[in-house]
Amino acid sequence: MATRGLEWGPDVSDVSGAVGLAMTGLTKVFGDKIALSDVSIEIDPGTFLVLLGPSGSGKTTLLRCLAGIERPTSGQIVIGSQVVAGPRVFVEPERRGLAMVFQDYALWPHLSVRKNITFPLLRSALTTSDRDARVNDLLERVGISALADRFPNQLSGGEQQRVALARALAGHAGLILFDEPLSNLDADRREQLRIEIATLTRATGATVVYITHDQSEAFALSDRVGVLNQGRLVQFNTPEVIYRQPANAFVARFTGVAGEFRVESLRPCGENRYEVALPFAPDLRIEAVATEDLGTPREVSLFVRAAGVSLCGADDVGGARGVVVDVAFNGRGYEHVVSVGEGASLSKVFATTRYDRLSPVKVHFDPASCLVMESKGI
Amino acid sequence: MSFVHVTAGAASNPGFVLYSAQGYDSAMVKAFNATHPGFTVTLNDNSTGPLLQQIQAEGSNPKWGALWVDGAAAFAELDKKGMLVKNSVPSVSFNALGSANVPTDKSFTPTGLTVVGALCYDSSQVSAGQVPSTWAQLTETQYQGLGMNDPSQSGPTFPLIAGVMTYLAKYKSGSPAHAVKVGEDYFKSLYQNALVVNATNGVTLGAMASQQISMAIIQSSACYGDILNGSFPTLKVKYLNFSVALPSVIGIDAKQPPIVRKDAKKFVAWVMSRAGQHAMQLGDPQGDSLFWPVIQGEKPSNAIIPSLASTHAITINPYVWGPLESRINTWFDDTIVNG
Amino acid sequence: MIVETAPLAPPRDGRRRPHASGLAIGAVLTLLIVAPVVSFLLLAVSPRMFQQGPQWFTLRFISGAFSGNTDRGIINSLWVSTLVAVLAVSLATTLAWLIHRTNILGRRVWAVGMWVLLLVPSWMMTLGWTDLLQPFGAANAVGLNTRWLYGEFFGPMGIVIVLTTVALPFAYFIISAGLQGLGPEYEDAARIHGATRWLTLRTVLPMIAPALLSALAISFAETMSDFGVAFTLGYHSHFPLATYTLFAAIDNYPANFSIAAVIATVLILSTVPPIALQSRVMRSRTYAQLSGRTQAPRRREFRPRIRILATAAVAAVFFVALGVPVLGAVVGSFVRNLGTYSPTGVHFTWLYYSQIFHPSISGKSIGAPLLLSNQLGLVVATGTGVLAVVLARRLVATRGGWSQRVTDVFLLGSVAVPGVVLGVGYIFFYNLSFITRDVINIYKTLPLLMLALVASALPGQTRFMAGPVSQIQPSLNEAARVHGAGRFAAWRAASLPLMSRILLWGWLLTFTKTISELAIAQILYPPSQEPASVTIQAYLANFNPGTGTAMTVLTLAEMLGVIVIALGLYRAVTPRGWQRVGWSGVQT
Repeated sequence: MATRGLEWGPDVSDVSGAVGLAMTGLTKVFGDKIALSDVSIEIDPGTFLVLLGPSGSGKTTLLRCLAGIERPTSGQIVIGSQVVAGPRVFVEPERRGLAMVFQDYALWPHLSVRKNITFPLLRSALTTSDRDARVNDLLERVGISALADRFPNQLSGGEQQRVALARALAGHAGLILFDEPLSNLDADRREQLRIEIATLTRATGATVVYITHDQSEAFALSDRVGVLNQGRLVQFNTPEVIYRQPANAFVARFTGVAGEFRVESLRPCGENRYEVALPFAPDLRIEAVATEDLGTPREVSLFVRAAGVSLCGADDVGGARGVVVDVAFNGRGYEHVVSVGEGASLSKVFATTRYDRLSPVKVHFDPASCLVMESKGI
Repeated sequence: MSFVHVTAGAASNPGFVLYSAQGYDSAMVKAFNATHPGFTVTLNDNSTGPLLQQIQAEGSNPKWGALWVDGAAAFAELDKKGMLVKNSVPSVSFNALGSANVPTDKSFTPTGLTVVGALCYDSSQVSAGQVPSTWAQLTETQYQGLGMNDPSQSGPTFPLIAGVMTYLAKYKSGSPAHAVKVGEDYFKSLYQNALVVNATNGVTLGAMASQQISMAIIQSSACYGDILNGSFPTLKVKYLNFSVALPSVIGIDAKQPPIVRKDAKKFVAWVMSRAGQHAMQLGDPQGDSLFWPVIQGEKPSNAIIPSLASTHAITINPYVWGPLESRINTWFDDTIVNG
Repeated sequence: MIVETAPLAPPRDGRRRPHASGLAIGAVLTLLIVAPVVSFLLLAVSPRMFQQGPQWFTLRFISGAFSGNTDRGIINSLWVSTLVAVLAVSLATTLAWLIHRTNILGRRVWAVGMWVLLLVPSWMMTLGWTDLLQPFGAANAVGLNTRWLYGEFFGPMGIVIVLTTVALPFAYFIISAGLQGLGPEYEDAARIHGATRWLTLRTVLPMIAPALLSALAISFAETMSDFGVAFTLGYHSHFPLATYTLFAAIDNYPANFSIAAVIATVLILSTVPPIALQSRVMRSRTYAQLSGRTQAPRRREFRPRIRILATAAVAAVFFVALGVPVLGAVVGSFVRNLGTYSPTGVHFTWLYYSQIFHPSISGKSIGAPLLLSNQLGLVVATGTGVLAVVLARRLVATRGGWSQRVTDVFLLGSVAVPGVVLGVGYIFFYNLSFITRDVINIYKTLPLLMLALVASALPGQTRFMAGPVSQIQPSLNEAARVHGAGRFAAWRAASLPLMSRILLWGWLLTFTKTISELAIAQILYPPSQEPASVTIQAYLANFNPGTGTAMTVLTLAEMLGVIVIALGLYRAVTPRGWQRVGWSGVQT
């Protein structure tokens, strides 16, 4: 592919290492639809940032704004020390020094695997032999050397995504973007590729922005997580904090709850701790953590993480009574769905022994995994 | 492939554009330009229909310097709109039919004559004795299946119809309404007598050659052309009790600047000169060159063409019949062609 | 002329494009198409606008057009076009199914045959049929008596048959694209749940309803605006069609442009219902995006006897549609005095071919005109190709809804504009005093003829390209941008290779259409620069069928030769990767 006289991006070999990223007040409006509303995030170089949210939450839009294939309505984006988007500034995608892995792989069907990977290097200062060496090295590292001369339509989904990953790594970009790269893959491939993404990108030390709707994926990969809902940034923190201290009910639900129950009464019993009574077990008092002040009366719910629920036999002391509705073997043990009352149930309740369907059980709650917060928080 | 007109001495004298449908036009324009170096005549050759469409669409911003086609009806219309240069006829001695075709305001010049309403017949299908001698006889059943052209497709045919109307009603002047009625009745009776209408001279001759019809009323030059070029050796031509003179006519655009009009006048004068007439007769020897000269003392180019007198040709008044062309053609199409 | 390979897909997301490019495109379309056509159409009610009459506003031409012959012409055109559309779509669907979904023999040949059928203009087809069937024609020359057929053929039946074969390839390409997007899983689902073959077909066929409707609309519009058949067969059989009555209105002097304008408006408006219907159905549908993950459809395996029969049926269709007229013209060109009774019997001769370069009508050899036509074809096809790509991209990128629909209607309506209307409209507009004096004086020059030819080809080629262009994944372009390529470089690297084939075929179609275009050529060619189609017409109109047919056969052969060379060059010059991908017109 000839490059004479064409406008290409900055010399990619000049990008020496990771870049920091700062978005301030980023907003994007499509007609009358607000896709992004006043999002502000700042991360250090080398951070692996995951943006987590359901479809329509604005994460794709945000990523496309970072890439430069979408123009923000207002706000500012700074990559490294360069303002790439702002009130009077807009830097074209090819000049931002980025790389990207797309959900549909976006491999050019008329180019071989090797040529796809070489693309970002075509305008670099590398000599041909250096270029080829780098490409061969990448093929090796990603484990696709045998496929170098094939064409994309001859590859499986997992192989194509690997090629896309190699292409993204080829230019040593300081910032790599991932647009739900695993969502089109089969379950077994997904795990494998996730690990490769994690290890390979960290090996380069690049900053990463990765979007997904899968909470476990987000937690496994990230240094920082930004949770988006309806265009707004709801919480931005480490995965641990997000998991243990979700900012509101939406975040709690999105990061995985075994059960959610409306609270009948609550009573403070320590710093950020409350004792709650549940409709299906009026005699039971459960201790739970609060992440916000619950002084003023409003509708409050108890959110229980799966890790905080344990099962034992019906004649055990304490706990709430329940009946097993469904049981599934997952290799390490059993996951149960337990009905604890009218319309109230707990899912993903783990036990190493099996409790059959319809057998009565007792459920115990660990306070550290119980959260109490306003029911409608989004 | 040139993008612009090549005109010699363009700065001083741009020459003019000749819109012409005549078969000998390119030979003549070449000859004229070779012998008249002061300016160039650019030839826009096309069929009559497109030429007239162009002129009409150009409206008040005309590009044509002179128009040269068969039939005077279009010129009468143009003259009425004041689009022709009056007194543009060069002084030559016209013969009788020639003079008859020069308008009173001398706004256009007849350059030659063909005749429509010549009865052409295929001698391999009918003998000379089986061919009628008068127009009245054409309505008789023994002469069924006569061929003719469609006036809306064949330029020379409307003058034929106008001529029939003129002759049969003995029309001289005044309102032609009666003549139109007489003519319509006549053609209706031809229609009852299995008249076969085809688009043009060429198609009608083709129908004769493939024996769909045995005789037809068409233009003289078409018949003589086919006989001479060998494509229809058994074709013969006869003239009935009258036929209609169809002049080839040239007129000059009044909206052009004076210098252009002057150039055009020079060209017309040359066309009417001996040299020009000679060139006309040589330019399309098996087609349009088979005409009768309008100038006294000149003879047709080919011996196959009989004397003008033997054609019993009459002249129609284009100022009267021109305006009726559209209406009559439509009537003909609706009643005779698609009836 | 339109060929669609697949209807437009909805845009991925709406993007606001800068206004400047939108205005530029609007200006180009206005100058090329809208201004000349509107100039002509205005005469329907305002003849004085271009000095064609005294009235600034009148309705008498509208009432005049709906009477007598012109009224018959309009009515005939409407029902003939509807009938032809239905026949063409039915036949095309059957052929598409046989070629793409069964194991009949020679599939590639039939696919190529469809292209050839597309490229041959309708007046050449009618010439072939006429040469063949006329008394003492080509059929007679080889000993076949076709007298009985001649009468039938020169009537509504023959008109419908020829027009159907003209519309067939348009319908075929749209429907086969629709079929190719239809995966086998839908048929499987129906069969598994107990549907018979027939019920399966009825269940699945509505899934390609958008393609069917699109094919109906295009076939209808193309047939309404056809002039070649109307002028020859229609006239001879006293079966007036609207395009013929339009021509007749302006063929007298003074020409009645106003009546013609009314008829032209009716022709254009008649395409609105089919488009509206198509648009209504399309609104709730999406198009299968062609991606690497679409499964290849399974083929129905016929038993050997059925296979032979089905292949023979397809062969018969092509024989009648294409083989017969081409043979008619070719054989006819060798018959001495074709159409004339010869007492000495039939003679074959090379005479006419030897004559075509030696003038028999003073000065009119085919050499220079054919060269000019090829040059025109080259320039027009390239210019139209560039504009069509820009327009197609814009069409695909605009946010769905009304602006896309308006453009859709505009493009299809433009197809229904007869060439003569466009040509005369160009005279009206580009010969306006203020334009020739103050803006640009190109009337009666080759550039103007080229513009008019581009205008004539542009709508069709844009629609032709819009389908495949819309099926190119946007992320391919985005990936190139993000990985360092500028706007143009990204287009060149990511989109162009996928579009290369469609660009090539679009170019070839416009090239051949330009060479065979008659109406516009006749009214706009500059002095002494007569295109080949006009020369051929002069011979045919003057009872020189031998020479005229020989010239036609030569022109057709030359056009096909150019196509073969172009395809060969493409194969030789483009990278191997380009030829593997993207849209392939002869995919089976």
